[in-house]
Amino acid sequence: MKHSNRIGSRLLIGLTFLFLYLPIFLLIIFSFNAGDSSAVWKGFSLDWYAALFKNRLIMNSLYTTLLVSLLATAISTAAGTFAAIGLYSLSRRKRDALLVVNDIPMMNADIVTGVSLCLFFVAFFQGWGAFADWFNGVQSAVTLPEELTLGFGTMLLAHITFNIPYVILNVAPKLRQMDRNLVDAAQDLGCTWMQAFWKVILPEIKPGIVSGALIAFTMSIDDFVISYFTAGSATSTLAMRIYSMTKKRITPEINAVSTLLFLSVLVLLVLINVREIRQERRAASQEIRKPSFFERLSMKFSQPSFKWVRRGAAAAMACAFVAAVVLLTGATSSRPVVNVCSWGEYIDEDLIAQFEEETGIRVNYQTAQSNEELYSLLEIGGADYDVIVPSDYMISQLIEKGMLQELDYSRIPNFELIDDRFKYLSYDPENKYTVPYTWGTLGIIYNANMVEEEIDSWSALYDSRYAGNVLLINNSRDALGEALLYLGYSVNTTDEAEIREAFELVADASRRGVFQGKVMDQVFQKMEGGNAAIATYYAGDYLSMLDNQADGVDLRYVIPKEGSNWFVDAMCVLKDAPHYAEAMEWINFIASTEANLANMDYIWYASPNREALEQYPAYYEELYGEELDPELYEIMAAPPEVLERCESYVVLPPATRALYNDLWIQLGA
Amino acid sequence: MSKELIRLRDCVMSYGDEVVLDHINLYINDREFLTLLGPSGCGKTTTLRIIGGFLSPTAGDVLFDGVRINDVPPHQRAVNTVFQRYALFPHLNVFENVAFGLRIPKTDQSGRKVRIPEQEIHRRVMEMLEVVNLKGFEKRPVSALSGGQQQRVAIARALVNRPKVLLLDEPLGALDMRLRKDMQNELKRIQQEMEITFIYVTHDQEEALAMSDTVVVMDGGRIQQIGTPEDIYNEPKNAFVADFIGESNIIDGVMRSDGVVEIFNRKFQCLDKGFAKDEPVDVVIRPEDVDIVDEAAGQLRGTVTSVTFKGVHYDTIVDFYGFKWLIQTTDFCPVDSRIGIKIDPDGIHVMKKSQYSGMFGDYSSYSEEYEELDVVEDEEAEEEDGYAD
Repeated sequence: MKHSNRIGSRLLIGLTFLFLYLPIFLLIIFSFNAGDSSAVWKGFSLDWYAALFKNRLIMNSLYTTLLVSLLATAISTAAGTFAAIGLYSLSRRKRDALLVVNDIPMMNADIVTGVSLCLFFVAFFQGWGAFADWFNGVQSAVTLPEELTLGFGTMLLAHITFNIPYVILNVAPKLRQMDRNLVDAAQDLGCTWMQAFWKVILPEIKPGIVSGALIAFTMSIDDFVISYFTAGSATSTLAMRIYSMTKKRITPEINAVSTLLFLSVLVLLVLINVREIRQERRAASQEIRKPSFFERLSMKFSQPSFKWVRRGAAAAMACAFVAAVVLLTGATSSRPVVNVCSWGEYIDEDLIAQFEEETGIRVNYQTAQSNEELYSLLEIGGADYDVIVPSDYMISQLIEKGMLQELDYSRIPNFELIDDRFKYLSYDPENKYTVPYTWGTLGIIYNANMVEEEIDSWSALYDSRYAGNVLLINNSRDALGEALLYLGYSVNTTDEAEIREAFELVADASRRGVFQGKVMDQVFQKMEGGNAAIATYYAGDYLSMLDNQADGVDLRYVIPKEGSNWFVDAMCVLKDAPHYAEAMEWINFIASTEANLANMDYIWYASPNREALEQYPAYYEELYGEELDPELYEIMAAPPEVLERCESYVVLPPATRALYNDLWIQLGA
Repeated sequence: MSKELIRLRDCVMSYGDEVVLDHINLYINDREFLTLLGPSGCGKTTTLRIIGGFLSPTAGDVLFDGVRINDVPPHQRAVNTVFQRYALFPHLNVFENVAFGLRIPKTDQSGRKVRIPEQEIHRRVMEMLEVVNLKGFEKRPVSALSGGQQQRVAIARALVNRPKVLLLDEPLGALDMRLRKDMQNELKRIQQEMEITFIYVTHDQEEALAMSDTVVVMDGGRIQQIGTPEDIYNEPKNAFVADFIGESNIIDGVMRSDGVVEIFNRKFQCLDKGFAKDEPVDVVIRPEDVDIVDEAAGQLRGTVTSVTFKGVHYDTIVDFYGFKWLIQTTDFCPVDSRIGIKIDPDGIHVMKKSQYSGMFGDYSSYSEEYEELDVVEDEEAEEEDGYAD
């Protein structure tokens, strides 16, 4: 009985650790995988690590991460240490109360901290704007900037804020252990308070300060949520970069960067723990022992006669740190910049390097999750992008709100190359604000081996025969739009009865258990792996799924006979863009035939550039040594007669948008 | 030995409504060994901290050599302190602890910073270590020293700066009995050798009597009595002093005339004069001033209730008409035996009635009271971190 208990508990411990560490172990293993699958081992290679270090975006965010972590650690360690000393001089009751207050931010959910800091900064910026406006009005000696935005500075402040409690938490016990009379004794022997601090308090609490700093650094490196809300648009940390990279498919490159992140945090944690164990041991054994070589060295070094050596070393280190910060930030800020916000996996990154080389303008390339997220970010004033790439319906909304700036087409000669089909569209009827980036269609993707006949109608989405095998797109506009098309209505209808009828169709299918779930980017894994039969998604994404489909999966794409939605994503410039001239250069560069060809090949979305559309099959053949399947090319760039059947979204009036929201919520998860 | 060095004039210390020091007036002569004696919370450490400059009195003046120094910070005062539990710097070895004060640059009269040359620092530290018998220990980490050795380091660290006054805050409190006795002698020797003023804080009356030139007995933020150890012991001013210093039987009495006091309705000869006729008084009779005689020959007659052997003498508790006396005598009297006592006129000390009258009862719960007192005082000292004593 007892024996079996022990086996049971060992098994439980084993399983616990397996669940804890197996995923990390797998991640590390697959970061060395030669292939780009995250499930099949194709041999050992360091390719992904090499790719990682060549990836400018990742390296950039690594630099941002290190800089913010180091600065935040240095500042919060100093501030936290002095705060702890201040707390320590209070009466015990006040001190204990304040220490509880100090604990709360650490227990608080990161998301709450992040959102509240974001709100605070934005509110402050508004107040500042009004103040600077007034101040610049009443005098002209000093001009204050009127527009402040979220960015590196706010993220740094946020990191300092959430790090300080950890420093206090580590320093306070050391102060408590310290004999109160030590400070008095030092002052009694002739020290001012400041001298007493350096000569007595600091050496006493140094272990606490060092472990506080290490923990603060770990927290900073590790943080995602708070950075996400306070970094604004133009800055991203490594964790944020990884998150944006996972939007479509987890590539081994992410495994590699995650492995490195995991290992560096692990090293820091080991360091912290070893220090603690060593301190405990030292406290436990007070007897004299022969000092080790390093201890003798450090004792020698801490003797007063070495004071100048010590001061020199400290000064040199401080200078080096300042120089590094100045150099690194200086090197990046002395060049002109353009801030671009696009979608994940939506550009051939070589183009960025090429543009920077040709023009000397640094590209700060960021990504957003969705049009809606981008919009809300812009609306709270939390972004200082120059160029954004929203979809058609969002563009009309942005124009309506006066958030876009007219483009100077004389500086975008490549606009001439855009096919006439993609100019003067309903979202920008006079074409004053936009240069199209890509276009494509929405269609049905299905696994031919899991359905009984060729699919050519939206009806398949609601068919009980495919119960449990249909993936509903997790986006009210598309999901209800498909139903409207099936019923023969316009996707832009504002007729409540029609919309309710479409909703009933979807809701009924849902009740019958047709849908496996509502998905966005999970659609890739589900369809590639043969875990669902039918889904709706974009043509370009279908093509990239095709490349990765598992054995026994035969994916097809069809634009149903009832017609579908087609969309354009276009480059626009925001109203108060700080780098207008650079933005024009970027847009012109991206509109070029070469850039369009490269992008088409990388992201599999059709280009709006006339020449690129014509030249792509030849480009493909030259690049890969085989002919481009014309059927696939037709899917990628739908021919005019197919496009005829499709309708683009226009922005819906608020009442209709509210109706969509209500209905979508009724549908439930 | 008569030049006045420090004077506290009408010093008041209060935190809100709580008065910690109540109009303290005190002067300290050059090269004097003065002890502030009193129970926990009597204000003795507060007084010391005011002299050290760690506290500023709420009202009143602190004078040093006739100059008001209320606002002079500790590091500019010509005093140094030996702290409770030593407050040695744990990250420095013995040598560096002692050298600490010498390494702080001093500002001279012309405002220049002056540093003591390394050779002189070395010479002075070694000299001081010799004075406190710690030669050869200079490289040791302070955590590797015994309590007594740490104490010596603390003294050396303070004295090496050649202060005019050394403040000692219960410096022997953490040592065991034997070591404490040794250190008492040592401190007295050092004080005489260095020819400086010592201001010593303790709650241990034996320590105070053994070392001091002058004892200041304090309670409740007030000075109860200032005097030589002999004065304090033999001529306590009130019941508090009598009870706190040594053992005493304090009995209600009535002064019938000069030299005659009545206790338990019996008249006793005494040496005290100057009281009003029939004035109620407190009468102190020290346990060792009582002679035990046959019951019939005694001025008072009572019954022995307990006897404790103390080595040199017996502590004998005797019940006189319901009031229990402590008598210290070399004669053994068994429990329940009837005895008589005789008291010589110089064994009787008469005090005016004070707020302390009647607060110190008889010896009916003698042994317990004795031990409790020690424990309570230790705990309080811990809690207060040596602050608002």
